[in-house]
Amino acid sequence: MNTKYLIGALFVVFLLTQPNTAKAQFPQRLVPKSALAQYAGSIGFLSAGVGYELFKNDRGSLDFMYGFVPINQGGRLHISTIKFAYRPFEIELNDWAKLYPVNPGAFISYHFGPKFDFQWDKDTYEKGYYWWSTALRPHISLGTEVKIDTRKVAPSLGIKSLSVYSEFNTNELYLVSYFQNAGALSVTDIFKLGFGVRVAF
Amino acid sequence: MFKRLLFFSIISVVLLQACSSIEYSPNQSSDSKSPRDLNKKALARLAETPGDDTIRFVLTGDSQREYKNAEKLVDAVNKIPGVDFVFLAGDISDFGLLQEMEWVHSIFSKLKMPYIGVIGNHDLVANGEEAFIKMFGELNFSFVYQGVKFIGHNTNSRESKFNGNVPDLPWLSRQLKPQEGVDAYIPVAHVPPDGVDFDPRFVEVYTQMINRSPNTLASLYAHSHSQNVYHFHGDPIPYLVTNAIENREFLLIEIVNGQLNYKNIEY
Repeated sequence: MNTKYLIGALFVVFLLTQPNTAKAQFPQRLVPKSALAQYAGSIGFLSAGVGYELFKNDRGSLDFMYGFVPINQGGRLHISTIKFAYRPFEIELNDWAKLYPVNPGAFISYHFGPKFDFQWDKDTYEKGYYWWSTALRPHISLGTEVKIDTRKVAPSLGIKSLSVYSEFNTNELYLVSYFQNAGALSVTDIFKLGFGVRVAF
Repeated sequence: MFKRLLFFSIISVVLLQACSSIEYSPNQSSDSKSPRDLNKKALARLAETPGDDTIRFVLTGDSQREYKNAEKLVDAVNKIPGVDFVFLAGDISDFGLLQEMEWVHSIFSKLKMPYIGVIGNHDLVANGEEAFIKMFGELNFSFVYQGVKFIGHNTNSRESKFNGNVPDLPWLSRQLKPQEGVDAYIPVAHVPPDGVDFDPRFVEVYTQMINRSPNTLASLYAHSHSQNVYHFHGDPIPYLVTNAIENREFLLIEIVNGQLNYKNIEY
């Protein structure tokens, strides 16, 4: 199965199930609610993309991102990512800043290129010779975000809000390594950090 | 209760983030802190070790996802007196990831003696080959220690889709030629020439090449996750396969007066 179709299908399912007002016309649903850029966090040296709101009050987000790792940073790698995050707690820091302290999430990254396969070559490997996909990597994450209401602080910017976030994640291959070796690896060995900014409009 | 839970969560997140390192991708082949040229450094260290009349070394392999048992191996090997060096004969990583090779190195760097990494089939998965080359070195390499030439080489034919280039027979043939200062030869690789993951078309010519060198003492492998000895062409030259780290056994090999002996060690 081609991963591009899978990603496309997930996107369509998301659009059809998005809890939007009935009044909104279909093309408007396609318009992202935010744009974001990220440093590290296992989805590229730098990555950028667009975000959609999933629930009311910005509590859920679904982001589509593209990232790359240059040669001198251990690449070259091209990565696309679909990212979900939920913000269960909201703390008002003052009348223009909010803190979302603990935001669990999950994302799937896909590495492009001939070294990475969605599934193993059937002519070379018997079924189960290797059990994981080299191209597709599921991750779980925990983030922290501070959101600034730019309409109050800097209305001239013409944007709704500006957020900065940090996010750490691990993937299924690190997790299985961790759980199989009680005590040999620590949680901080398997969780990896990234930072980002999000602009909502 | 809720506030306490929230407070605890925030503290945990802050602590975890403070201690975690950044990562650009699990598939990146190096990062700013990843070790480089480990084999070259190990051989430089080995060249400085004062020799005696015995070459004593350990053959192990398949550290893949076995960090706990790898720690036990390091403890066990460190207790054996007079071990000159250790061969980690492939499948250093399980998923071909840089992070795995770093974890294994952080454990193996606690060995009192240098260790030398050889490429395994799992190390060639995804971006693993690039990560291995940066961190350990070339896939095919050789060195001479006290008159014995050790020839590390890539026998993971399946990872090259049996394209005929693995093992590199012309290269191996050159390595096995008579050489000044070399009394004996010991090839070391990951996949043994048993015709499963080793290109079946080359088993015959490969084993003949090794047996016909001026003086092969043994040929060394891992991969099978069980201890085996093969012989080819009716020759007594042993093709030794070490057990895997997951089964907590390795081979202790000794060369005294040109004679090779080995012992399976459980730990």
